[in-house]
Amino acid sequence: MAIKTLSIKGTDSRDVARQAREALADFQPKLILFFASSDYAGPEAALREAFPDSEIIGSSSHSEYCDAAYTSGSVSIMAMDAGSVEDVYVQVVENIGAEPDLRGVLDGMHDHFGGVDQVLADYDRYVGVVLFESSAKAEEVFMDRLGTVTDLLFVGGSSSAAEGGQSLVYANGRSYTGAAVLAILKTVNGYGVLKTQSAHIFSECKLTVTKSDLRNRILYEFDHRPCGEVYAEVLGIGQDEIQNYFVCNPLGVVAGDEIFVRTFNQIQNGGITLHCGLPEGTEINVLKIGNIVDDTRKALDEAIPYQPAGVINFNCLYRTLEILNENQVEPYCALFGRYPSIGFSTNGEAFLGHINETSTILVIK
Amino acid sequence: MIEQVIAQKAKGNVVIANSVRTKMYLKGIAVDKYTAVSPDDPAVMQKVREIAKEFGVVV
Repeated sequence: MAIKTLSIKGTDSRDVARQAREALADFQPKLILFFASSDYAGPEAALREAFPDSEIIGSSSHSEYCDAAYTSGSVSIMAMDAGSVEDVYVQVVENIGAEPDLRGVLDGMHDHFGGVDQVLADYDRYVGVVLFESSAKAEEVFMDRLGTVTDLLFVGGSSSAAEGGQSLVYANGRSYTGAAVLAILKTVNGYGVLKTQSAHIFSECKLTVTKSDLRNRILYEFDHRPCGEVYAEVLGIGQDEIQNYFVCNPLGVVAGDEIFVRTFNQIQNGGITLHCGLPEGTEINVLKIGNIVDDTRKALDEAIPYQPAGVINFNCLYRTLEILNENQVEPYCALFGRYPSIGFSTNGEAFLGHINETSTILVIK
Repeated sequence: MIEQVIAQKAKGNVVIANSVRTKMYLKGIAVDKYTAVSPDDPAVMQKVREIAKEFGVVV
């Protein structure tokens, strides 16, 4: 088997690592990806000690998924051996809030695999994973820069934490805040990427962002009018009611058949703060949220008509809370129980850009 | 101009062409809104030139 998945609860990180080592006794992981409840202190160091010959990356989590299970207070682990991942190269970019130049980083990563031309010649086998520590709130600018310096697809999400816990990302025995962990995987049998947002166009009316503060994620105007006023008009509600609609009616950048969701945070300083900044000039639609289980089933069935080696699900924390509220955890998890899979509840998702209220999914064939 | 940027960047790879198209949307260029006969919008053209420069292509 080229990929194994584990869901472990332990007394502490060392106990988790011990259990993982026992479960993977006859397995030589090339790459270990883990999502650890923030209840655990130092999971990266414990796993490093247990698996000194593996590349190890991960994120803290509010809650975790593994196969057909949803848990909190656990560690979900995916171990990939040379049967599924031929090679992997990991880099950490710190202080992402300072908008670092990524060209040198990506050039180095491409060079590890023989250079960018070699990577592009074998494009169907190379894919990137990106794990953001979410406190920097700089994912949209980082993904924009990343997309400028590489044509590889990067899939991932932003760290979360249980109540009172610390949000962190991990790479090879160290933990980081305000950082992004990048990994390029050279897969053996290829990969697939999908995203599903269970959001549909509510109004065909296109609104153009004419005033915004991208870096501080504040939206001020659509079509040179106060955005709250226009949003209320599209929904046919009073301006004093708009906050009640923020979760059910987010905004979306519609690019062809794909929707990139931007969720509202709160009304502030004459504008509305978002969980992902919007550049001026962007055209958006107002969306409505649909049925997460039905839409996820449809997306998975269309995109994975084969038995994959492994599936990694970066599922927005909003979506987790929604399926918990709707008592839909079991049918949702059953969809992923069809594959060896892990996931966690994210504070933002990544695919081509930074996204909200979405599930981004990496499929290892 | 937009299609030139996409074609030069993608070099015939359909997956890359689609991802470049999406990246331009996320940068604030509503790609499908413009055609070869669309009236020139200086602000949009300037933005597309800047994106082309970032991507390392010449239009």
